Amino acid sequence: MSQTFNLPPLELEEYSLENGLRVVLNRDDSVPVVAVAVYYDVGSRNEREGRTGFAHLFEHMMFQGSENVKKAEHFQYIMKAGGTMNGTTSSERTNYFETLPASQLPLALWLESDRMRSLAVTQENLDNQREAVKEEKRLRYDNQPYGQIFDLINEMIYKNFANSHSTIGSMEHLDDATVEDVQEFFRIYYAPNNAVLTISGSFEPETAKQLVETYFGDIPNQTKPASIDVAEPGEVAENYREWEDPLAPFPAFLVGWKIPKRRSSEFYALYLGGKLLYDGDSSRLYQKLVKGEESVIQLFGFTDERRGPSSIFVGAIPKPDKDLSRIRDVIMKEIADIATNGPTADEMQKLHNQLINDSVRMRQSSMSRAQQIAEFALYDGDPTLINSELEDLLNVTPDQIRGAVNKFLNTENRSLLDVRPAGKG
Amino acid sequence: MTQPVRNTAPSPLPPMPFNIAQAKTVTLENGLKIVMFADKRLPLVSYRLAFLAGDANEPTDKIGVTSAVAAMMTEGTDNYSSRELAEKIERLGAAVSAATTEDFFIVAGSSLSMYASDVLSLIAEVIFRPTFPEDELDLYKRNAIENLKFQRSQPNFLAGEQVAKAVYGEHPYSIVSPSPSDIENLNRESLRDFHQKLFIPNNAILVVVGDIEENEFLDQARDLFGGWNRGLTPSVKFSEPPRREKRETIIVDRPGSAQANIVLANIAFSRNNPDFFAATVMNQILGAGASSRVFMNLREEKGYTYGAYTRLDPKRLAGDFEATTEVRTAVTGDSLREFFYELNRIRDEKASDDELADAKNFLTGVFPIRAETQEGLTNLIVNQQLYGLPSDYLQTYRDNIEKITADDVVRVANKYVQPDDITIVIVGDAGEILPQVREYADSIRIIDTEGHPLDMASFEQQADEPSVDASGTWELSLDFQGQKVPVSLELQHDDGKLTGKIETVIGTGVIENGSIRGKKLTAAAITEIQGQSVEFSISGTIDADSIEGTLSAPIIPDSLAFEGKRVS
Repeated sequence: MSQTFNLPPLELEEYSLENGLRVVLNRDDSVPVVAVAVYYDVGSRNEREGRTGFAHLFEHMMFQGSENVKKAEHFQYIMKAGGTMNGTTSSERTNYFETLPASQLPLALWLESDRMRSLAVTQENLDNQREAVKEEKRLRYDNQPYGQIFDLINEMIYKNFANSHSTIGSMEHLDDATVEDVQEFFRIYYAPNNAVLTISGSFEPETAKQLVETYFGDIPNQTKPASIDVAEPGEVAENYREWEDPLAPFPAFLVGWKIPKRRSSEFYALYLGGKLLYDGDSSRLYQKLVKGEESVIQLFGFTDERRGPSSIFVGAIPKPDKDLSRIRDVIMKEIADIATNGPTADEMQKLHNQLINDSVRMRQSSMSRAQQIAEFALYDGDPTLINSELEDLLNVTPDQIRGAVNKFLNTENRSLLDVRPAGKG
Repeated sequence: MTQPVRNTAPSPLPPMPFNIAQAKTVTLENGLKIVMFADKRLPLVSYRLAFLAGDANEPTDKIGVTSAVAAMMTEGTDNYSSRELAEKIERLGAAVSAATTEDFFIVAGSSLSMYASDVLSLIAEVIFRPTFPEDELDLYKRNAIENLKFQRSQPNFLAGEQVAKAVYGEHPYSIVSPSPSDIENLNRESLRDFHQKLFIPNNAILVVVGDIEENEFLDQARDLFGGWNRGLTPSVKFSEPPRREKRETIIVDRPGSAQANIVLANIAFSRNNPDFFAATVMNQILGAGASSRVFMNLREEKGYTYGAYTRLDPKRLAGDFEATTEVRTAVTGDSLREFFYELNRIRDEKASDDELADAKNFLTGVFPIRAETQEGLTNLIVNQQLYGLPSDYLQTYRDNIEKITADDVVRVANKYVQPDDITIVIVGDAGEILPQVREYADSIRIIDTEGHPLDMASFEQQADEPSVDASGTWELSLDFQGQKVPVSLELQHDDGKLTGKIETVIGTGVIENGSIRGKKLTAAAITEIQGQSVEFSISGTIDADSIEGTLSAPIIPDSLAFEGKRVS
């Protein structure tokens, strides 16, 4: 097996402001750079029926200016200071983050606090961001070959509305939104007590704490949002669907399975089982399909990690005139092989080394540290999990992988989406 | 605690020093230079074995062989098959790969430091014993030819090809890619032969960055590479890039293009030129970023485009300065006017204190962010070594940027930005573009996408035809993924000036600068989305009361066809 490996723990300090804002500091002076991440506990999972797409619409609103930062200035401030920034939305959360020279920590905190305190939720901003989201939907989903398949398969896998609907949401719902709806959404979900602030990199902890207090301390807290139910039955909602994709140049397919939540031992086992199937040039399916048979142009797979029921996918774009069902048989045969015989000793060694390698590399960048710490703080209430997760993964046994692959993947309880090109060609 | 002052951005804290240690260098008897840099932040190691010869060193009958060798190195050796290599590398959680540039051939490896010696052995394996298996080479050739076809469909590629020819003339930097027949001609023998000539220790540098024991590493490096025989270093005798003395224009005709891809380029300087720092600051002010002058002018003020930039591309032996943008065809001439305004302004006027400070802050600010990861740090060190930059280059980079004054910026702008002798390359609909570029060009050539010259006269006629009257209300039917979407177009056409509006399901767009040439209409409709103007380009042909054409936007991958009638 792999050699023993001890990774020194990250230095973490966790505390809360009086208004409920959870703060995690991770000091690391190796490079004079600082990363700030603000994670709000709101994602598409929080959206009600008839109001989908709100969480993501909000991510756009957050760049439209606040009391002291004009529209589009956020970006200019960061850029002129030599930094980088962005924001993203998932089913689980909405995050905002920037990396800057260490001396610019006050700027990052000023910018983040100004929009948490005083976002400009106006009719004009709402109208033009609605249009921007529609544009983004056309660009990233409707006008991309295979752009809609992940949203479609989530509808096939999940039965609970909180899980099954897309993050981009419905354009009709966005049209129905009033400024009052949006102001209310901001009040509830963008309150300091519904967020985690992480600072990672080079800083004096006392200075950082003082700055956090100065900028965030007097933002009022709000009633905690009602908790949501993301429970799911074991069966997938729908086994088979055919999708005519007007832009797809080739047929393709995507298989998805419903699996237990993140950080459960079965989720870990399936994450590792999935890597053996599709991760890297030496993976089982790459060697069988891309190399061996040369039947596939592109092969991909990944796990979608959620606080509730999660999912795992394998997909392929076959070469022209290749038999799709035969390729799926190869995939299911490899799954059955892992379900029966489990991973080989060589494969376990590969997994262990890759896990250690990934875990060490993640620690290099202040931004990736800040993001991971914020996730553990927000989802699990425990940022120190960043120091123990590697151990949890390394402790997964070959038999746990075999058992979980057998129980969750080696089954008819899966969703198959067949993509057929329906274009001009 | 004092009441926070929130209405202005806070001042930065005192700057923190960023100290990079110096690398250690050892040269083996066979000439292999070894550069060691201790990075003990985390238990990782990164290697680069780089040869100071790249695509530019290829003989003209073997174009493409360098990148083929790079791709094939990990596809089989004397001891391992392609699959066994993949398994050996990934079982360590490591990565080993090879890539080329015009100047260099670089084999890269990285892993946890506990596998440092295994990875170095694997690098030696692929360097000394590649077999270039026939079946793997076949697969590579098929994929490379497919990829080339795709590239030729991309306007940026076509523009880059012409820019390289114009700037570098007979110098090998003028070749941006092998042709399909170059790739067809590749065979195992040419790869083997090239491998034997290129891979010599006296033209190579081995860089290691990471958490390693220097003596152990050196012992292993001597063991693996010490017995490697010297060879003849490739002769470096290239033609000088030509000097231009007028503004030449090359239009690559791509009929039906909704956009014009514009590149202005002139010869500038090589990477080790001491003007590098002043020129980098100058370029940051002028056009490197989204808060630089050309972006603020062409995109933010004029709304011609999604992006407009300038860049410096200094290579080992020479380099160029470029200004680039993609605009809707109707504003090609206007974009050239604004580009020349900015290229002259940076030469004629001193930059303001704020502009100079913003540019320097950006450059000194991003520098440590680039060195956060070991891969980033390694790339900085490798570049310093390969381009032969001073040994304290990384340590003094930020000071050297800080030293630059507004006078320095004017001086290097006058030296390296040459608006009067710059070459203009435009990929797009030549008939639409030609009349717009005349006043900016001393000479004009039109070629097709394969580079063959086209007859200018046929484009002149098109341009001189009398224009039809486009005024009125037009009802169009737009083909959106097989669905017919109604669009209404209202046009006023006075004195060759075309204005109006377009109504679609997603809103109304205003047309301000449309044009009619003969029967051909080009116009752009601007709508405000997300605080940014989004532009739809409309191009069509009018025949009495019928119109047909296409609608496109930077965000739509393929333009959408429409047809319609004048209803009033």
